[in-house]
Amino acid sequence: MSFLPDFTHRRPLALEEALNLVSADDMPYAGGTELLLAMKAGLLRPNSLVDLKHLPELREITVDGDDLIIGAAVTHQIVAGSHTVRDSVPILAEVAAQVGNPRVRSVGTLGGNLCFAEPRSDIATVLIALDAVVCLLSARGERELSVAEFIVGPYTTVREGDEILTAIRVQIVPGRLVVYEQFKTLERPTVGVAAVGLDDRSVRVVVGAVGSVVEQFEGPRHDIDPAQIAQHVEVIADLGGSERYKRHLTEVSIRRALERIEATR
Amino acid sequence: MSTTWLSAVVNGRKIRHLVATRSTLAEFLRTDLGLTGTKVSCELQVCGVCTVLVDGVPVSSCTYLAVDIDGRDVLTIEGMANGEQLHEIQQAFIDHFALQCGFCTPGFVMMTKALLDQIANPSRGDVEKFLEGNICRCTGYAPIVDAILEIGSKLHEETAS
Repeated sequence: MSFLPDFTHRRPLALEEALNLVSADDMPYAGGTELLLAMKAGLLRPNSLVDLKHLPELREITVDGDDLIIGAAVTHQIVAGSHTVRDSVPILAEVAAQVGNPRVRSVGTLGGNLCFAEPRSDIATVLIALDAVVCLLSARGERELSVAEFIVGPYTTVREGDEILTAIRVQIVPGRLVVYEQFKTLERPTVGVAAVGLDDRSVRVVVGAVGSVVEQFEGPRHDIDPAQIAQHVEVIADLGGSERYKRHLTEVSIRRALERIEATR
Repeated sequence: MSTTWLSAVVNGRKIRHLVATRSTLAEFLRTDLGLTGTKVSCELQVCGVCTVLVDGVPVSSCTYLAVDIDGRDVLTIEGMANGEQLHEIQQAFIDHFALQCGFCTPGFVMMTKALLDQIANPSRGDVEKFLEGNICRCTGYAPIVDAILEIGSKLHEETAS
């Protein structure tokens, strides 16, 4: 068995208390599905883990005006089964139900998923397609950033060490067409493509998982060429497939996503 | 080394232990409690052999901190049989030859328990989807799925009659 390095465990019961504990060496912790793996691999060695999953504010799903607000410590399983999410932003519930496997979904959280910035995150691809916003809180104040601004590279976000991602905010747009096409053979997708039908019959295509960052393309439907995008995006060959194979999957996934948008329009 | 007190219920028994804070649930069960029925393999939450239920929810005990079971109820493979009387899931696995080497079996049995607690009479599709994250290198999966479907339909008949 591989072992975790030594650390202390803090379990604040109020957000105020958590804000005073979190720092670059005292890391926010919830499901641990990615953080604990990084610690076992020796990539991270925090002084303490600050357990955020008992903070009620971070575990709520609410609707505020035109926005769906999901607490950062809400698990994928809860998102997948939430009537509030299904009624307001159904694609999010649909995609949360596909993350990893049932064990990962039962402990892994939306906030943790975004903060870890795994390039093959289905959740990040879909949230970027939906123009979702993350709320970051520290003792210094609060700020909101789009998910696209928040994740700046593989495993890299602009979160400062003392900041806690408290919630994810998604605008509720009734009737908006959003689809997600995913191809996966194991726990993580080889390619994930989200497509959004915009008001003026133009579309947005968001390509995730094949490269180190999510890439977005937007324009009138007839200008969006799946083959061209598949040739243009960054593709990293790995055990999931060669570059040529992944470009092919990308093209097919984009085409399928666009066809589904067209079919429902 | 940092240590933490934890109180929990494991297989129906109340426990209180001082654990190494860095201890995973799998290490704690196997080393501190001697419950070696829970196996460890990939340590990446991919293979499913270390599955146990915490408050009825399946988790990978290899990537779950022991301190997080504080105040909770844990069920491991050792808590399934009633004395010499095997649990019906265990019996169905035997009846269908749903194991060969047996290393993955504790994980499959615990996942099956979690599935049947949610859906009493699952379809073949439900079973395949739920067990996507469990790996067996001996059986080819078909006997495992058959065993689970049989228990599901039995449970269904019992509730119907």
